Amino acid sequence: MTQTTLTKMTKIEVVVAGGDAPAVRELIQSVGATGFTSLSGVSGLGHHGYRQGRLLFNQQATLELLITVVPEDKVDALLAGLRPLLDASSGVMFVTDTYVSRPDYFS
Amino acid sequence: MTIIHAEKDVAEQRSRLRTEVTLAARVLPTHYPLETFIAVNPLAGFENLPFEQAVRRAGDLYGTRGTLTEEAFRTAYRAGRITDADLDQALGRRHPNLLAGSPVRFGDRDVTPAELLRGDLLHGTGTPEPVRRYHTRSERTDPEVARVVDAQAAKWCAAFFGSAGWSLPGREAGFYSAWRALAAADPTLPRAVRRRLRSVATRPEDALLTALSDVGISETDRETHLQAHLTRLPGWAAHIQWCLGRGVGVDLVGYLAMRLSYEAALLADAPADAPADAVAPQLPSARERAIHLARIWDVGEVEELELVAAGRILAAMPVSAREMLWQNAFEAHYRDGLLADLSSVNGADTTTPHTQVIACIDTRSEGLRRHLETLDGYQTFGFAGFFAVAIRFTDLLDGAPCDLCPVLIEPSHEIREVPAPGAAFAAARTLAGISGLAGAESAFHAAKESLAAPFTLAEAAGWAAAPLAAAKTLAPAASARLRRRLGEWVAPPVATELTVNDVPLEQRVLFAQVALTTMGLTTGFGRLVVVCGHGSTTENNPYQASLDCGACGGQAGGPNARTAAAILNQDAVRTGLRARGIDIGEDTVFLAAQHDTATDRVTLLDAHLVPASHREQVRTLEADLARTGAALAAERVVQLPGAPRHPSAARAARHVTGRSSDWAQVYPEWGLMGNAAFLVAPRDVSRGLDLGRRVFLHSYEADVDPDGSALETILTAPLVVAQWINCQYYFSAVAPEVFGSGTKTIHNVVGTAGVIAGHDGDLRLGLPWQSVATGERLVHEPMRLLAIIQAPLDRIDVIVDRNPILQRLFGNGWVSVAARESSGGEWQRRTPHGWRQ
Repeated sequence: MTQTTLTKMTKIEVVVAGGDAPAVRELIQSVGATGFTSLSGVSGLGHHGYRQGRLLFNQQATLELLITVVPEDKVDALLAGLRPLLDASSGVMFVTDTYVSRPDYFS
Repeated sequence: MTIIHAEKDVAEQRSRLRTEVTLAARVLPTHYPLETFIAVNPLAGFENLPFEQAVRRAGDLYGTRGTLTEEAFRTAYRAGRITDADLDQALGRRHPNLLAGSPVRFGDRDVTPAELLRGDLLHGTGTPEPVRRYHTRSERTDPEVARVVDAQAAKWCAAFFGSAGWSLPGREAGFYSAWRALAAADPTLPRAVRRRLRSVATRPEDALLTALSDVGISETDRETHLQAHLTRLPGWAAHIQWCLGRGVGVDLVGYLAMRLSYEAALLADAPADAPADAVAPQLPSARERAIHLARIWDVGEVEELELVAAGRILAAMPVSAREMLWQNAFEAHYRDGLLADLSSVNGADTTTPHTQVIACIDTRSEGLRRHLETLDGYQTFGFAGFFAVAIRFTDLLDGAPCDLCPVLIEPSHEIREVPAPGAAFAAARTLAGISGLAGAESAFHAAKESLAAPFTLAEAAGWAAAPLAAAKTLAPAASARLRRRLGEWVAPPVATELTVNDVPLEQRVLFAQVALTTMGLTTGFGRLVVVCGHGSTTENNPYQASLDCGACGGQAGGPNARTAAAILNQDAVRTGLRARGIDIGEDTVFLAAQHDTATDRVTLLDAHLVPASHREQVRTLEADLARTGAALAAERVVQLPGAPRHPSAARAARHVTGRSSDWAQVYPEWGLMGNAAFLVAPRDVSRGLDLGRRVFLHSYEADVDPDGSALETILTAPLVVAQWINCQYYFSAVAPEVFGSGTKTIHNVVGTAGVIAGHDGDLRLGLPWQSVATGERLVHEPMRLLAIIQAPLDRIDVIVDRNPILQRLFGNGWVSVAARESSGGEWQRRTPHGWRQ
């Protein structure tokens, strides 16, 4: 399959503390994104040092990765909400172009 | 094109506003609904700050205290609960160089820096009272408008969350839509205000943006202003925050849109904002404090140079720091005594136990364990009361399932209660009986709350209801016994089992290994091992869940104990454990139980599963548990208001039973009152010591946890829950007007959300006053948690270094840590500069 048969969209990936994840999910939905994927208990090394992955009995203290794909007209609105949240919290955000085969799922 | 740009701008503004609300709401406590009420740290949003700064910041927002009053500390000093040595220790840790200074001449005597500072702590005046410093626009310009905004907000929240006979019209469309449709028709508001409310925007973000603009709040001041609104009625705001992502139909944007729309409409004709002058508290100068001390001590004439020298010392300890110094001294007194007691214990138990009891870490279990261990052949362990099985449980009635695990995690398995083999017919009869009773009760309450039916109900059922109410009031224990017997006659108890085989075998084995390794029980199993959860039986108590097991999400832990015991009894699980180095002998039987902390009765569960070979031992166990419970009841009643002072064990047991079934009793038990420490160590470290039901006890054997994973689990989950409980009690005691729910006697329940005091106002946060005090007298001693750990110190450091939550709690003084490598060693304190004795 080539990119010409696909539709260009924007993928936004956000890693935040488990406690901030509900706010990010709400923000994603509030700008009209049709869905997201979340992955809890992610680990890694970053600005605040090494972050432990899954804890046996505490899902709130670990990091969560949220991924959403939105059409271009929704990107700026979502970023406008995410940037001040990340300015005030530990976490990272990656914004990349992506291509989807069924654009109606994301609009 | 222009229209598209404008739409994008609006979308970005809405999105940014949502985040501003999110950030503003970080200062709110978490509030769980009544049926799953669990203790939380109301200042959790401030845990990234050192404790002292956090309580000061919370004071600015809420106008609340962060510690007891200086007068309360001085009373404790006079009672010997704080000594000069404690004060010197607290001063020495805060001002190490200052205390090493030379004495100064002060009138007719020489005084050391420590004496001066101690004198100021004991006699100083002018400690500032906390004052709310962040205000809404209406608070600044027209307090009456602020009152109306609060009253309206409370009214609409109660209407939305309440369960009145007539539900809020349009409720299904969500809070904001329902309010918007009805608010403009409120006849209590002036016509002009109603007209303005009619034009409020359809989307809550737009309404909030408009209102912020109308009341003249700049973009840079928005977050502060939103915070001021959220902290006016923190209970409702906190509950709405809890609803986020739960599909309740309400969020803080809608709530704030309502509040700000009222404020804007009511202030539309008001003069421009006139910021009130922030009146800085007049604190006494160091020189004035020195003069005050000279007068109190009657030292004669003090030279000017002497006043300067004394003032220089006193200036190092600001007046505003005194209460925190007192708090540190207060805690040090208890902690030093506890650590000294633990150092004196030689609790090594060389006898082989016939019965082992695994109890919850809850402080109330300490009393049960201590009394049980006075009997021969019993050994006890502590573990979080969900026993590592995070389950979603559906009981025999097949009602709504309950999540029985700490709120820190999601349940990982669904467990159902089903009739035991051969008990299907009996179960059907029981279910029919329970359904009949539930139907009758439901019909009774429905008739009571409808318009005309109460008159008929009084005729039809008054002959039974009135005597029953009288019996419940005058003879609660007998009445409860009668009702229980009636219930058992209509719906006889039936043997059931749990569907533990729905959990894959590999996960059952893993659970068993984790549970046993974490508590250090991997060898030396007794013939009986009792897994003992806990719950509390009380009547007419909206805060029932606060007395149940916090590790089970504020519910009784019996189903978890049953699940754990059933898994640990399975041959296939034991085979899997053997392959992992844990050998449970064939003669060992696990048995579930539940400790009722209001009556101190321990009920054995699933007794029908006990093999014939162990029944005699189980009968002995039952008798021993009854004796233990009675002894514990006799110990507890001494502290309960209105209880006999020196009862026999039998009388105490009868008293607590009657008390738990008394629907007028506001002190059914003290719960976790007094909690102050969390011990992670083998029981050998504390066996034989009376810890006064103030210490969470988690069993831990460092030797069977070489990689520290068990310790990491304990510190990142049970310790965190214990810290929530500790802070909930702490702030309910020191700041009861905001972080406590006030007296139970005027509580009115609002749906399942919580309680309000009287008929309106804010949803109350925290614990009732009767959980921490009697009358005006505070019974709970508010002190932060001390974690005491017996493990290699470098292992603790490694775990802290990779867990930010522990760095915050330990580094910012929310939890203090003392540790030692092994029994017999000196306890070390964890400080920012390393471990210190």
